[in-house]
Amino acid sequence: MKYTILSLAFLFLANSLFSQTIEEIITKYHTAIGGAKWTSVKNMLMTANVDAGGMMIPVEVVMMSDGRMYTKINFQGQDIIQGAFDGETVWSTNFMTQKAEKAESDDTENTKRGAKSFPNALLTYKSQGYTPTLLGDETIDGVKCFKIKLDKKTMLSEGKEVPSIEYYYIDAENFVPILTETEIPTGEMKGKIAQTKYSDYQEVDGVMIAFSQASGIKDGMSQNITFDKVLINTTVNEKTFTFPTN
Amino acid sequence: MVKQIVVCFGVAMVFGVQAQNEKPLIASEFFGDLKARHIGPALMSGRVSDVEMHPTNSQIVYLGSAGGGVWKSIDGGVNFTSIFDKYCQSIGVVTVDPSDPDNTVWVGTGEVWTRNSVSMGDGIYKTADGGKNWTKMGLEKSDRISSIQVDPKNSNIVYAGVLGALWGDSQERGVYKTIDGGKTWNKVFFVNEKTGCSELNMDPSNSQILYASFWEFRRTAHSFNSGGLSSALYKSTDGGASWNKIHTGFPSGKLGRIAVTIAPSNPQIVYAVIESEKADQKGLYRSDDGGQNWKFLNGDFGLTVRPFYFSRITVDPKNSEIVVKAGLSGSISRDGGKTFKGLGSMHSDIHDIAFDPTNSDKIFVATDGGLYRSLNKGTSMEMIENLPLSQFYHVSADDKEPYFVYGGLQDNNSWFGPSASPGGIEARDWELVGQGDGFRVYPHPTKPHIVYSEMQGAEAVWRFDTKDQQLKVIKPYPVSGDPKLRFNWNAAITTSKHNPDRLLIGSQFLHISNDMGNSWTKISPDLTTNDKTKQNQVESGGLSADNSGAENHCTIFTIAESPLNEKVIWVGTDDGNVQVTQDGGKTWSNVTLNVKGLPANTWCYHIETSVFGEGVAYAVFDGHTKNDYSAYVYKTTDFGKTWNSITTKEISTFARNIQEDYKNPNLLFLGTELGLYITLDGGISWSKFENNVPSAAIHYMEMHLKTNDLIIATHGRGIIILDDVTPLQALNSEITTKTLHFFDSKPFTMSEKSSFGGTSSEVQFVGDNPKTDAQIKYVLPKRHTFGKMSMEILDLDGNLITTLQAGKQKGINTVEWGFNRQAPKVAKGKTIAGAAMFAPRVKAGKYKVRITKGNDVFEKEIEVQYDPKSPFTLDERTAQQKVTQQLFDFTQNLAYLVFQIDSWDATIDQFNAKNSAPHKSVQNLNKELDELRDKLVVTKGDNYVGAGEPKLREKLGDIYSSIGSYFGAPSSTQLENIQMLKSQFDEATKQFEKIKIGSLKNFEKELSKNTTVLAPKISSFEEFIKSDK
Repeated sequence: MKYTILSLAFLFLANSLFSQTIEEIITKYHTAIGGAKWTSVKNMLMTANVDAGGMMIPVEVVMMSDGRMYTKINFQGQDIIQGAFDGETVWSTNFMTQKAEKAESDDTENTKRGAKSFPNALLTYKSQGYTPTLLGDETIDGVKCFKIKLDKKTMLSEGKEVPSIEYYYIDAENFVPILTETEIPTGEMKGKIAQTKYSDYQEVDGVMIAFSQASGIKDGMSQNITFDKVLINTTVNEKTFTFPTN
Repeated sequence: MVKQIVVCFGVAMVFGVQAQNEKPLIASEFFGDLKARHIGPALMSGRVSDVEMHPTNSQIVYLGSAGGGVWKSIDGGVNFTSIFDKYCQSIGVVTVDPSDPDNTVWVGTGEVWTRNSVSMGDGIYKTADGGKNWTKMGLEKSDRISSIQVDPKNSNIVYAGVLGALWGDSQERGVYKTIDGGKTWNKVFFVNEKTGCSELNMDPSNSQILYASFWEFRRTAHSFNSGGLSSALYKSTDGGASWNKIHTGFPSGKLGRIAVTIAPSNPQIVYAVIESEKADQKGLYRSDDGGQNWKFLNGDFGLTVRPFYFSRITVDPKNSEIVVKAGLSGSISRDGGKTFKGLGSMHSDIHDIAFDPTNSDKIFVATDGGLYRSLNKGTSMEMIENLPLSQFYHVSADDKEPYFVYGGLQDNNSWFGPSASPGGIEARDWELVGQGDGFRVYPHPTKPHIVYSEMQGAEAVWRFDTKDQQLKVIKPYPVSGDPKLRFNWNAAITTSKHNPDRLLIGSQFLHISNDMGNSWTKISPDLTTNDKTKQNQVESGGLSADNSGAENHCTIFTIAESPLNEKVIWVGTDDGNVQVTQDGGKTWSNVTLNVKGLPANTWCYHIETSVFGEGVAYAVFDGHTKNDYSAYVYKTTDFGKTWNSITTKEISTFARNIQEDYKNPNLLFLGTELGLYITLDGGISWSKFENNVPSAAIHYMEMHLKTNDLIIATHGRGIIILDDVTPLQALNSEITTKTLHFFDSKPFTMSEKSSFGGTSSEVQFVGDNPKTDAQIKYVLPKRHTFGKMSMEILDLDGNLITTLQAGKQKGINTVEWGFNRQAPKVAKGKTIAGAAMFAPRVKAGKYKVRITKGNDVFEKEIEVQYDPKSPFTLDERTAQQKVTQQLFDFTQNLAYLVFQIDSWDATIDQFNAKNSAPHKSVQNLNKELDELRDKLVVTKGDNYVGAGEPKLREKLGDIYSSIGSYFGAPSSTQLENIQMLKSQFDEATKQFEKIKIGSLKNFEKELSKNTTVLAPKISSFEEFIKSDK
């Protein structure tokens, strides 16, 4: 009888665990990663040494709460900027010519649309007018997760407005994202699912940051980056964001 | 041999006790990143059952396959991606919602081209996001769904034509309708338990008008019937509420399968292809008044051939007179069906045709050999080469390194191909070794150039010498006094583990040859039930005779020789017998009745003999041909006197094959109609393995002894390999409770082969190769999500070799290490010297893996070895390693020299910035340093064709990577080149020393007078190497 009661209690707990509303899940997620402390975060500077087959590559990632960002990779003394956004222009350094080149206009427009989604689109869904939907639960890396579909309205792909969808897999026990997914909208990989897996969450100035992030294509290869340092509200070189004029 | 058996028994006892005393070990909790790989092939592809195009966007094409699921193209049919892996892979129909075509797509499972080897469905599915996520919407017992029609004005109104069960009576047939998007279904039209809806069409101009063809049909293991008085064509004009037979002008009497279609450009024109009792009434009928009256047009072979297999007719969306009929070769009419001509050359057996709605010159054609595309309305066809839908019946493997796999396919011959190939496994890697439908293919155990293969019903059994290209038919023939030999469509053949020249073939008798098939002896009586009522295949087919051999019955289907005793041979028959001999065939025991709980005459699909005991065997019975989809899997340890069922409710469908692990008797692999199941506890619990193994029908599996690979023959997704199951062999409940447990591993071999990769184009399928890096495996009881976790390789003295990214998921984690150390620090320059970033390999020996997880540290010793097949001697490798290390050091020394120059240069810049009129000596120093740097590294240009002339750094990188990536000794030319570069470096060093005591000393004096700019603090070499500078 005791066993039965315990089993029922467990079932009740399990059911209650998965009967949470989408709002409750997002609120718990927000709380789990620092809650209101995120409002005071103006920027994040993250550094890593990526080991690419024995070659150590210093990487610096900066994200501003206003949407500006860049990733700086240093090869043999040469700074290569990738995915920079200065508020107006998305640009990267061309590896061959080592000169800055603008991303295609779709990318820039899509980045502008997402610029106010700091720290991410799910946590800012209300202000952005996005629609989250709880699709159910799914096991990721052995962890039971809430699968949330986030409808971010539309984005530009090859000049056309297409649905902009992101999927979040939130650890049902700890309420942090384990995985995010989005469909690649254009190019040769169009239609494939881009994934990022998160781990090594650690607290920095009251907010939780995933120090390890593995990005790649679903069922394909991925590249892991583990940050050795994350600074919040630090001094950053504002010029680095700006698309160079020459 | 005796010692080996004793050891095996010992292991069995240990594991056996474990299995009894412990609670179930749920395998799926620990699969982790253990992941299978697909090697295809796609060069012959496999049966495609349905093609569907987006109604307005010709870039989007869907296909449903017989056993390979649903695939989608978003580039007009150039590339396809599988989008239905998790679900039943047998597809009846794919339908795009016309009012939400970008997002809503329906899939009806269960192929409707009802050949003997057809699989079954498990319901209807819907996606609301173009195939990324699917939801089952019911009709679970529908077995096979022929058609789905969505009301173009209301996405919630959907009709499903359910053909229903092939192998038995069923109430789940007819036309179903939902008005709530699939939440609930109402059966709006039912004929009887034997007759299902084989086609349902909706008038594109009026969704209330529906045409439904109903087909009376039945297949058994030994017969097929098409036709009866219940087959008919019906029409509804009120959204399915009422139905009327529309047969004015149709043949009388029994009817068979009826294909029906509406001309989209003129819905009053309806075409029907009818299978009827009288041969001269079979063929194409046309109605010009919405089905009220019909006129016979054409009875050509292309229209009447095998209606059960070819019953699709399609009309050009823009021209009601252009009609294409599926068939043996496919045929097209341009005069409204009066006359036809064949479609262009392609694989035979055409099942569906789809027109591009925006350009009807472009058509897609579904065949037994994949999907074809035509840009000129079928005159010339091109095959889509990236659809690995191959339908294997069987697989075997040889002992080569890498090993080759052998197998035969539905309507696609027999083949062998490698499990690994430079650049991936390509179409060109596969070799053809049989014709027709291929089944069991074996390499000779010791003569690798000899391959055995067969075609349907053992019409031919071949011995093919691939070296001399000699082909001999070696099948057993009846001799004086013999009855007709009955061979299964998929006739049982096996080689022997005890006598390499032995072959065993089953008709109703077991035949043995000890001379590679030259001569045969019967070593059994008729081992089947020999039920004469099941041997009347000449009558098979119903209204259209169909005696292809597919229904041959009362035959031996599986033969299993004990690996421990050649005299112990098991036979399983398609009519349900299990027979065993322990004296090489002198006497036989029918042990069928000892299998408790098994329905009589259930097809014995596979017997697996065991390495853990002569009397140990597993038997898998498949009842699906009696409409029984239960899994029947039994184990005996006493030569079949007693059997225990080892199935559980976790197995959702019927099974065809079981594979024993050769090391852990509790580890078993079960091939089912819906994918792979694994048990770690001898069958107490089973888990579905879904890591890149789709829910495809598994017909056979083989465990490769040398590699511990599980080789899986799927009937729709080609060959899938689960590489090296060593972690599964080692898993037990003690291991799985540890915070982290490293698995033991054999020494890792550093392959010393190089290649330039493959030659496939971008649109051809290339199979995955196995990993050649070290595979460091460990198990975590819980995913690592919070806190730091890092992984390092150290030498045994604790010196860091390199860092790796730790796997963090629950269960098995695999981290690859390419045997490399860290790359040298390279001098800074204007451009990037890619070759200089080469990370050299470690020497063979022992190393330590260290994982730091929070405050816990876990270590495991591993060993790496040189490739024993490599042509290089140890001395040669030593010479290579020595020179590589010298060049590594040389690269870093150069980097340090450039660093010193750059440091001083930066100080000069600061000094110049502070002084409007710099001293001439400073200008000289600047010039001297620039000139020196210019000799060492590229200082201008870019990373492409604007690159500057290579300097010392670039030349050094080139020779360093060239020598480092070859595992033999450096050549004398290379060594001479190094000497030259070394001289240049020595000269540069001397020059820098000269500058230091000349211009630099003067500059230091100048700096000492200046308080705003300080002399640089040059780091030591060791500090520099460790820094990020």
